[in-house]
Amino acid sequence: MLQALLKKELMLELRQKHALAGIVIYILSTVFVCYLSIQVVEQIKVWGALLWITGLFTAFSAMQKTFSNEGKGVHIYLHTLTSPRKIILAKSIYNAALVALLNVFCLLLFVLFLGKGVLDKVSYPQLFLAVILGSAGLGTALSFMAGMAFRTGNNTGLISVIGFPIVIPQLITLVKATSLALGGVSFVENSLQFVILCSLLLASLVLALILFPYLWRD
Amino acid sequence: MMMNNWLKLACIGLLGYVLVFSLYVPLVPGGLHVDTEKIRPGVNEFVFTGYNTHFLSERKSLQVLIMSGNTTYCGEVVSVSDNAHVSTRVVLPDTLPSTTITFFVNNDVDGTLSVFSAIDMSSFVFAEGYKKGSCEMAVSNNEHIGFGFPFQHKLYEGIRNLMFHVPMWFTMFFLMIMSFAYGMKCLRGTKNNNVVVQFDNTDISHNEKLLRFDRKSADYAKVGLVFCMLGLITGSIWARFTWGDWWTSDPQLNGALAVFIAYSAYLILRSSTLDPEKRARLSAIYNIFAFVMMVILLMIMPRFYDSMHPGKGGNPAFNSYDLDSSLRAVFYPAVIGWILLGYWIYALKNRISNLTHKCHEQL
Repeated sequence: MLQALLKKELMLELRQKHALAGIVIYILSTVFVCYLSIQVVEQIKVWGALLWITGLFTAFSAMQKTFSNEGKGVHIYLHTLTSPRKIILAKSIYNAALVALLNVFCLLLFVLFLGKGVLDKVSYPQLFLAVILGSAGLGTALSFMAGMAFRTGNNTGLISVIGFPIVIPQLITLVKATSLALGGVSFVENSLQFVILCSLLLASLVLALILFPYLWRD
Repeated sequence: MMMNNWLKLACIGLLGYVLVFSLYVPLVPGGLHVDTEKIRPGVNEFVFTGYNTHFLSERKSLQVLIMSGNTTYCGEVVSVSDNAHVSTRVVLPDTLPSTTITFFVNNDVDGTLSVFSAIDMSSFVFAEGYKKGSCEMAVSNNEHIGFGFPFQHKLYEGIRNLMFHVPMWFTMFFLMIMSFAYGMKCLRGTKNNNVVVQFDNTDISHNEKLLRFDRKSADYAKVGLVFCMLGLITGSIWARFTWGDWWTSDPQLNGALAVFIAYSAYLILRSSTLDPEKRARLSAIYNIFAFVMMVILLMIMPRFYDSMHPGKGGNPAFNSYDLDSSLRAVFYPAVIGWILLGYWIYALKNRISNLTHKCHEQL
């Protein structure tokens, strides 16, 4: 069942390629604007902050349509087929992967355009791991929040209002992990951040699984 | 819901006691600073400044000393201009046992006061165990210090804010826990057979009960948010005078602001949902998220990062060094008093929202 749900998400995405293309263009233009205004980022912290501001809003715009692009009929149909926990699990996995993919693309652009000066001591595996874990965490937490914003009557601006406070701990840890990775510390020194990121990811997944049945049906 | 009159009296009594004591109890005497930046072998003259001290009235038993390592060098009191200043002359040898130095003043009323400061000692030779010229300090007179708040460097009179700033967070935690509990109650009341979760439209009294839980949860959160704001304001003022800035990048501060944002988002979510039953369910769910955030941000995260708050980031907690009996005597009543006040405000707020609900129903 989970596979079928994931396949459904993927097919919906491929059927509406313009949405994905819109996000890709958004990332490209954000990085380009950053490059045009500050050609060389001198501080590691600024680089991390720019990366995650772009990453956060990428996640927000990717989540915007995750529930609203399915009609009311689809939700009722899914009801008869499967349990709400499976639905949110599928959504979370799919969105975590999607946001991770988009943010890896974002990271590549950042390295390409704004890599001068800050990437001398960088540890690429750590940076990559931070982006993957962080994006997965953002995707999971925001999937649930998207469901909630959808339930209020599809107030599209609401997801950033209710989603942002929930991902603050993740963002704090992410910026920290990114700057440590850019500073070139050893993996052991940075591991605390990764452990925190993993536990925040797990916590939001568990909360989503527990609470989604209460959210799903009205 | 009415609040018991005894609780109201207890609240007024406790807060009155806290206001009077936290503002009128003096600080115990302490050493403020020494007006010298360099000491050298031979004759040194300096003025020792005390706070709440009795140098003039206790001129007879006044003793000024310099301590280096385990060795004490007595000074000769030159003049005492007032109760807070004593100017002294100390003769030091060429060789000192330690590279650190502490200034002491001792008298029968104030006990032993010390000032430790980074001082230029470049013209000395250092040798461990060197004892020449040492003298004894009379430390048997420390029991006479009266009731007062402890004197802490950097904090000084600001230590009184302990009775206002810290209870704000205790009260906020209490209110948010209650809000969380009523949110859970509301959510549990909605029928859950795993797939179909909804308010039972046929049972109006049950429905009404759930909405009452929802109003309680929301009112607790609103009052908690006010206390969060007060905690941020008192903390900001305290930080300005102790750490030198209105806002410092401290995980505890940033976490508190994030909690403030999370509960504000909770209220925005409430106001953007019109259907009362759906609002009850959605806000109860979000309340759980906000509560978990609060626990993560204020109780777990500050332990991983450096924090300037006592008890966090390797700093000692208050009770290990300066929450002494005089502070406890005011601090615990303050916590109970502020929590009662928070509960009182909540009770009034909840009555108002129940009445407003009734009015809307009759229209």
